[in-house]
Amino acid sequence: MSNATTASVKFHRDLYHEQAITEAAASFADFASFKVRSDGEHYVVDVADINPEVEGDVVAEFCNFALANSAMRLKNSET
Amino acid sequence: MAQSKIETIDAKTSTLTLALDIDLYPRDVLYAAAYVFLDRAYVLLDRDGQRFIVHVRGKQPLEEETLRAFAGEFENELLAQALRQKVFAANQRIIENVANLAIFGAVGSEADEEGEAAAGDEGTDLSGLHGADDDGMDFLNDPLGIAKPWETGKKGDE
Repeated sequence: MSNATTASVKFHRDLYHEQAITEAAASFADFASFKVRSDGEHYVVDVADINPEVEGDVVAEFCNFALANSAMRLKNSET
Repeated sequence: MAQSKIETIDAKTSTLTLALDIDLYPRDVLYAAAYVFLDRAYVLLDRDGQRFIVHVRGKQPLEEETLRAFAGEFENELLAQALRQKVFAANQRIIENVANLAIFGAVGSEADEEGEAAAGDEGTDLSGLHGADDDGMDFLNDPLGIAKPWETGKKGDE
């Protein structure tokens, strides 16, 4: 979580679903570019070209979206 | 309370890190509790062996006291969500049965109405039903005087 124009975020595989991360990345595609890769127990998302004119923290909001999407996927899979 | 622990707290960056015992809080409970805070904070979850690590950063600047209160609130939410899921699991069959009864009841009454409507369309004679004869009276006629008030002093006794 940072305000720089690039950032890297690690999402643990047990807690974040890959599809949930890519959906969150698609939601924020207008504000930055996202590359998702696997690294051991984590998915690593390299965020680049973050639009500095956007109000708020794009990376942190992206993390919240990834978490919300993962939670919703788990809930939907249970019902 | 040994089940959760504030690992780091920093008022300058409005950040807080909590460690939770993975055996006490299942993943879905953690999700549900974290979800509640998404409108007020940025939340990033991680796992370190047998602990869940919760990184929280306030969307607004927060003082240390507020951050500590935030941590307590998060723990309360964890307990509330754990209890909620336990109650739901215990009552799931009852909830499903009530929902099924409601759905089948609604479907059944619709089917009855459709059946009656179909019977009407086929020209069923309803003239024999009680009250179907119309003798030209309306509800304002009172030939037997039963509409007079029985209380003394009322206009009907005069």
